[in-house]
Amino acid sequence: MNNLLTIFIAMVIVNNMVLAKFLGLCPFFGVSKKLSNAFSMGIAVTLVMLIASVSTSVIYNYILVPYKVKFMNIVIYILVIASLVQIVELIIKRTNIILYNALGIYLPLITTNCTVLGITLINSAENYSILESVVSALGAGIGFTLVLIIMSGIREKLDLADSPKSMRGLPVAFLVAALLALAFVGFNGMV
Amino acid sequence: MRNKILSNKAYPVVFLAVIVIVSVVLLIAVNGITSSIVESRKREEIKGILENIFPEMSQYELEDEVYIIYEDGERAGYAFIARGSGYGGDIDILVGLDNGFGIKGVSILSQTETPGVGSRITESLFTDQFKGLSASDIALKSEGGKIDAITGATISSRAVVDAIQKKMVEIIDTLEK
Amino acid sequence: MNDHKDRSNSKQPQSCHPQKQHVKDDKKSGSRFWKELAKGIVISNPVFILVLGLCPTLAITSSITNALGMSAGVIFVLLCSNIMISSIRKATPLMVRIPVFIVVIATFVTILSLVFEAYLPPLHKSLGIYLPLIVVNCINLGRAEAFASKNSVVLSAADALGIGLGFTIALIIISFLREILGTGSLEIFERQLFKLPGLFTHPLIFFISPPGAFLVIGTMMALFRLIGVIRGE
Repeated sequence: MNNLLTIFIAMVIVNNMVLAKFLGLCPFFGVSKKLSNAFSMGIAVTLVMLIASVSTSVIYNYILVPYKVKFMNIVIYILVIASLVQIVELIIKRTNIILYNALGIYLPLITTNCTVLGITLINSAENYSILESVVSALGAGIGFTLVLIIMSGIREKLDLADSPKSMRGLPVAFLVAALLALAFVGFNGMV
Repeated sequence: MRNKILSNKAYPVVFLAVIVIVSVVLLIAVNGITSSIVESRKREEIKGILENIFPEMSQYELEDEVYIIYEDGERAGYAFIARGSGYGGDIDILVGLDNGFGIKGVSILSQTETPGVGSRITESLFTDQFKGLSASDIALKSEGGKIDAITGATISSRAVVDAIQKKMVEIIDTLEK
Repeated sequence: MNDHKDRSNSKQPQSCHPQKQHVKDDKKSGSRFWKELAKGIVISNPVFILVLGLCPTLAITSSITNALGMSAGVIFVLLCSNIMISSIRKATPLMVRIPVFIVVIATFVTILSLVFEAYLPPLHKSLGIYLPLIVVNCINLGRAEAFASKNSVVLSAADALGIGLGFTIALIIISFLREILGTGSLEIFERQLFKLPGLFTHPLIFFISPPGAFLVIGTMMALFRLIGVIRGE
């Protein structure tokens, strides 16, 4: 139990997907100013991460390792993720059309989101059991959502601020990210 | 004829399937070549480290998890790999035992600890401490044992100590049977 | 040539979505090879202008050795997949093209990973999970969709080389800055090139850490855009 808690906290804060591991930067910098959209995006990604982690963990532990074909993991994981995103997209389209329209192009882009493939690769690299993979994915997803929400809140203020022309938009966002990352580095000694 | 194939409803699926099959075949082929290189390199590495710990070694055998070391046909000792959880990840340690189950030598195989701090567990000033000790001595001095931790790297040091102690007891148990 | 100007002020990073990557093509060949190549280096620099391939960039640029290794890897994958996808473009049904691209790219990334593991183990180890993450690097899928699936093999190869070179240059600049400032010395493939006396004893470790990466890239982006603003406007 202690180990699971450690994994969880580590993923949320210490090894935060965006600020420490540099994954999921595209949605991070492109996040909307509306907090609800940022939150929905984060939850959608977390959900995909969870399902992907479970499926890939099962495939890894019961197929790839016993049959000594670990090297197939890249191809198989990305195909699993691509199919999952398609399915999730279909489900959201059928059940909540408003959410579907709000997420727009970003939904299919979750496939190429580094966070999802990243977490499945991390789970394999650390040889996590299925339970540990779930906890790890949950932590990673929550950490990602957290950072997305923070950035979304800052976004609004950023756009209103008066910055030099070449700094406007992304460069300033990067500097903000630098400060955020710096704050999160403070969590380093925790686990 | 070409258009007939292309507009066939099953064509997209078949095309994708073909691509997947080609890719799988290609990967299995490449893996076949590279894995043997990786394997032989690992064996060379282990052999080198074993020779460091047992300079007179003439050959060795791997039985389950234990390396049996021979010097001129006589059993000279054993070796095993212990794995610990360090600050930055897994730490792999090769431990050599003499015939009396005392430690002959310790070598860190791989670690990803903090450079300049935890990574100093690889230095001989740390690993030499283990020589000659029996399983009951293997603990940090602050915890009743004989090992000095590396200053500022207690977690990494403890990880090594715990890993060695645990695995050593296990292996000695197996060997005595 | 004009459509990159409105991107320089856009607030969102370019996604893998092909429409946002389109740079005007004209119909001449021959010298086009070099034109496509040059294009990828400055005008459509993948990191600083198109903002593609961010994830590995930030992580890997803490050392110039890693940056070079990663660049070589990306060029390999980009080149191979562009060529492959371009050669099957006429037979590829539109409906399954994205999965096909993904499988092709994933295959080449796996080959790269296996080769590195066998012949360059220390590099393989230090690149870690960022090596397989080349698969989701928008550069590959983006160029496949935006260019390779619509152009000849030769031009696709040129595009790959150009973008790959642009990526390499960007990575080298960033890692050079981070390594010099963060460690006070420069090391390539474990051979130390030189030390800066002041910085070596008191390195600005900030730059080796994650926040430093964000800072360096943000500054470089502003710089590249400044150059664009001065020359373009």
